[in-house]
Amino acid sequence: MLILEAEHISRSYGMNPALNDFSLSLSSGETVGLTGPSGSGKSTCARILAGLERSDTGSVRYAEKTLTRPDPGIQMIFQDPAGSFNPVLTIRQSLSAVLSLRRVPKSDHHAVLLAEFERAGLQTEILSRYPDQISGGQAQRVAIVRGMLVHPRVMILDEPTSALDVSVQAQILHLLKDIQKENGVAYVFISHDPSVVEFMADRVICL
Amino acid sequence: MKFDRRYILPGLLILILLTVAAVPGLFAPYSITDRDATYQAPGPDHLLGTDNMGKDIFSLLIYGARWTLMIGFASGLLAVFVGTAVGLLAGWRKGILDEFLMGTTDIVLILPKIPLVIVLAAYLGPGPSVLIFVLGLLSWESIARVVRSKVIQIRSAEYILAARCLGFSDVRIMVREILPVVFPVIVPKFVLVTAAAMISEASLAFLGLSDPLMVSWGGMISDAFTYSGFLRGMWYWWLPPALCIILGVLAITSLAFIHERGVREVVQV
Repeated sequence: MLILEAEHISRSYGMNPALNDFSLSLSSGETVGLTGPSGSGKSTCARILAGLERSDTGSVRYAEKTLTRPDPGIQMIFQDPAGSFNPVLTIRQSLSAVLSLRRVPKSDHHAVLLAEFERAGLQTEILSRYPDQISGGQAQRVAIVRGMLVHPRVMILDEPTSALDVSVQAQILHLLKDIQKENGVAYVFISHDPSVVEFMADRVICL
Repeated sequence: MKFDRRYILPGLLILILLTVAAVPGLFAPYSITDRDATYQAPGPDHLLGTDNMGKDIFSLLIYGARWTLMIGFASGLLAVFVGTAVGLLAGWRKGILDEFLMGTTDIVLILPKIPLVIVLAAYLGPGPSVLIFVLGLLSWESIARVVRSKVIQIRSAEYILAARCLGFSDVRIMVREILPVVFPVIVPKFVLVTAAAMISEASLAFLGLSDPLMVSWGGMISDAFTYSGFLRGMWYWWLPPALCIILGVLAITSLAFIHERGVREVVQV
């Protein structure tokens, strides 16, 4: 089933074209790899697909509706794991806010977080820490857990492993594969590393 | 985190002033309506003598802390509230709203403050609420500018983008995600505006533009000037309130500078 579709999207910043006539179709449970050299427009493309930026031309459709603003059904995982969290909030505060947004009763927050952390192979001690007090791999796992709390149908993964060492990279990639197998979430996987893209993606688009 | 000992002296001074302002009755030997012989020199009954009305100057000094500090802090709070709201909105929304709000900020920035406050206080009456509103509503522009630039700096941070993806509302993002990060730059601005408002209040009171029923340190200096306290060499009438204003403003600005330097040191580390 087609879940995300981009048709002929282009984006320029002033006189500099960042993305030119890009099209993509993504089905549930599928992973599309997006690769290309630095400055080829991968991150611009990711932000447009997530509804964070508008394209100059073309359109993005999510669940058969034109995307004009971010939709919780599309989540984005960023390159800098610690930077994805508010520096003045603990991990628990950041995740509890998402659960409150989903109207999960406050009394259930701890139990939900314990279950999600166990699934992601995370220790619960880090719940009381600040983002700069946990490792890059832990922060990226927590970011994935946070994204999954809103039950997205699409995840845009913008270089999610490029800031991590090789052993942690493998753990994150396997975690993403497990989540996809379990939930059928579709991925747009962005990386400049062809071997990582090849490992994750069903098909690859080169920018 | 290690406690910075530089906070002790100004913090203690402000604590003493706030305590005195909160419960003046505990510290003042007389009420502000009690009268005795006029123009008395300092003695055991009246530590700083009495004024032209026979009121105990030490008691007036104690009661004066209340209005001076209240006007300072209330104006500071009002300026912080307006400046933060304007800065957050302008930095977050950008476009026409940003241009309108920053245009308004620039107009407030170039207004000659003290002459305008004098005119407004003269026209609107000398009540404390008028002073708070006038001083507060003319002092928010620097806060708005600082907050706006900080918001522009962090609005494209990944945690803000993540919050937008998760479906948080704009108001929630501004209040819960951006405001706590911007807060450290607001604190020194708040204390500086508070200190400036205390000086402005004293200046207005000295010019006779404060409520005559309201006892404030600026008003005491004004009374000493008007009712021959200077001519009679009654330094104990005007010097203590002047020292209180100087010490209060110094303590408050020291806190701001120490805090700002601390933040800079942390950033450099």
